[in-house]
Amino acid sequence: MTLALEDVSRNYGPVQALRGVSLMLRPGEVHALMGENGAGKSTLIRLLAGLEQPNRGWVMIDGQPVVLARPEAAQAHGLRFIHQEMHVVPTLSVAENMHLHRPFPRRAGLINWRELRRRARVALDALGLDHIDPAVPMLRLGLGDRMLCRIATTLIGKDRARYIIMDEPTAALTGAESERLFAVIRDLRAQGVGVLYVSHRIAEVMALADRVTVLRDGARISSHVRGDTDQARLIHEMTGRDLSDLYPPRPAPPDTPPVLRIEGLRAGPLHDISLAVAPGEVLGLAGLAGAGRGELLRALVGAIPRKGNVTLAGTPLPPADPAAAWAAGVAYIPRERRVEGLMMLRPIVENVALPHLDRLARARLFLDRAAERRLLAQRGAEVRLKAGGPQALPVTLSGGNQQKVLFARAVGGAPRLLLLDEPTRGVDVGARHDLYRVIRALAAQGVAVILASSDLQEVIGLADRIVVLQGGRIAHLVRNEGLAEGDLLTMCYDRPAA
Amino acid sequence: MTLLRRSASLIGMVAIIVFFSVMKPATFPTLGNWLNISQQVSMLLVVSVAMTVVMAMGDFDLSVGAMASLAGVVAAVMFKAGFGMVPALGTALVVGVAAGVANGMLVSLAGILPFIATLATMTVLSGAAFIVSDGRTISGADIPAAFGDFARSGIAIGQDGTRVLRIPSLTIVALAVTAALWLVMEQTSYGRRLYAIGGNAEAARLAGVRVVALRLSAFVFTGAGAAIAGLMYASRVASANPIQGDGLMLTAIAAVFLGQSLTESGQPRVLATLAGVVVLGALDNGLTQMRVDSYVRQVLVGLIILLAVGASALARRRGRAG
Repeated sequence: MTLALEDVSRNYGPVQALRGVSLMLRPGEVHALMGENGAGKSTLIRLLAGLEQPNRGWVMIDGQPVVLARPEAAQAHGLRFIHQEMHVVPTLSVAENMHLHRPFPRRAGLINWRELRRRARVALDALGLDHIDPAVPMLRLGLGDRMLCRIATTLIGKDRARYIIMDEPTAALTGAESERLFAVIRDLRAQGVGVLYVSHRIAEVMALADRVTVLRDGARISSHVRGDTDQARLIHEMTGRDLSDLYPPRPAPPDTPPVLRIEGLRAGPLHDISLAVAPGEVLGLAGLAGAGRGELLRALVGAIPRKGNVTLAGTPLPPADPAAAWAAGVAYIPRERRVEGLMMLRPIVENVALPHLDRLARARLFLDRAAERRLLAQRGAEVRLKAGGPQALPVTLSGGNQQKVLFARAVGGAPRLLLLDEPTRGVDVGARHDLYRVIRALAAQGVAVILASSDLQEVIGLADRIVVLQGGRIAHLVRNEGLAEGDLLTMCYDRPAA
Repeated sequence: MTLLRRSASLIGMVAIIVFFSVMKPATFPTLGNWLNISQQVSMLLVVSVAMTVVMAMGDFDLSVGAMASLAGVVAAVMFKAGFGMVPALGTALVVGVAAGVANGMLVSLAGILPFIATLATMTVLSGAAFIVSDGRTISGADIPAAFGDFARSGIAIGQDGTRVLRIPSLTIVALAVTAALWLVMEQTSYGRRLYAIGGNAEAARLAGVRVVALRLSAFVFTGAGAAIAGLMYASRVASANPIQGDGLMLTAIAAVFLGQSLTESGQPRVLATLAGVVVLGALDNGLTQMRVDSYVRQVLVGLIILLAVGASALARRRGRAG
């Protein structure tokens, strides 16, 4: 009763994507597969999904070699795949979405809606998902709940999943959504399902996995059982470099008057936010999902309307006008880089130059393409962007390099205030290291940085001060001195004393 | 793959022109005929390049045909009422700009889908053209001779037997509009921002592009372009009726799509649209010369558009999967 790869190799022309990789997934086990972008994780998943065939070696199920010639073959062997992007029909109900690939129950030839909802209910309850109503349209659910529905779907009926392969499932989830997913994964394990958990988030892998396999450059570097490794070692194995210090050193916080003043800000779920950020300071924003981290950044850049006074370097920042905010020296990197950040099919040079066109263009009107390319070359080098030239399209880049395009854009205009919303989501460790150094280097140049992240380690690793939001209000504002992740997590939940 | 797709479309377009040149060597590949084609497509070219501006943002303007008709009858009615060239043509252009602003407001301020908004204004403008003209063709003595003469004039560039070869004035107008819009779209930050909106409107907004204002403004180009085309049409036939520009809309969209199949990552570009218009013009002209029945011609043109656009869509999908 196992799923295994035996000495599997796969090449694309001269590119060796997998080199003799072996791996075993047992029922009732969470097996984490780690590696940077390009390590071979995606190829391995594609082999299991029946989308590609190995050039050498075998996929083995229950000790027998099998050929997964088509996705249906993988399906028939009880393999299911959960990707970070959920394909749902938003306007159909949860129950309907859960039955898209199986017959709807019928009565007298007509769809038996009650039975349909009941089956969905049962599947959801089996994973403790009693907060999801099968009758509501899918669009009312957040990304996390959509993923949980998809997982519940794999357990419906006789052909229930034996092995679930999850590809970077938390890449797009909030902290709370991720926590819920982890609970469900533990439930799956208890029910005897084997989970192959592909991620490069070390903290969650350490918390979740019974077994960890690290890939690098297509080869298996190591396998560990729970408790037999640590963060520094995993980072080293994934990157081949010693990143024992993932976060750059933090110099003493600057003692300068604030450049950004926020007084009595209200926007969306936010109430009564007053803050001041000094040049050269990195302010971390922590809080549970829905606490308003992202909204605060969106309100500051003017992406959502706000009330209250916001001044940058003494000048009021007009509300609800991102163009004016950029012109005043605000740079913003949104949370969803593909949806809110990048023009995926426009060349990276255009992506980077976009907010700076007025300055780059001759007479503010006529494009100066040479100046745009110079900007990209200069800023791209600063953030260690690797792309095939200025005309490369973001769609062809890895997550880390896509994020670096956004960083190059953000620093392209010498900002006074840099707003970062989940800046390293779906970014591998090596690229994260690069981005952290960029953030610190900018702070050293006197940029005020506000960093919102669901990754508490990241907040602690980078911030000078940390604001903890609860329900749209500031619950804590602390200096980041000797804080542990647990302390910060507690601050996200507790009620502050008056 | 992109290269293959682009060259496949290009080869197809060249093949069409070679085919007619072989079939009708005496009449098709001549300077005189190409000058003639250039005049035939001049109205279409103006509307198509204007359409390219809104399609670069991912929008449409279905009202251009009706707008062209309306501009023609507005000018003609004013001629009939005794106004001179400047006020008559000026008013027609103002109507075009105003309709463009209205379309822009509906799409960008009210947030109505461009398809629906401009479908509605198309109907309104078309109705207005009938009201203004009283449903009749306005022609003859009411139209100043100078207006009709403009379309027949041109810059003499040579002699073909007894005939003087001229670059038609309408061709010059169309090329001037094309050059101006090429400049706007390809060489200015304004055009770059429109392409950014087409690439990802929300990302553009968050990166400081004033999406609402720009979207609104872009529809002014289609309104004005359609009005210019309507006046060109009226000049060419020295008359105006309330439906004469209607056919421009679908053909213009087809020309932009044809052009798109030539471009990198399949986006609308002004010069690509020019190529699309030339191919459609050559096709129409060549098939007419081969005495292909006009209904059959319509079927063939439709099929060729499908072929080009379909092939490029397929190639792109395959390119993405692999």
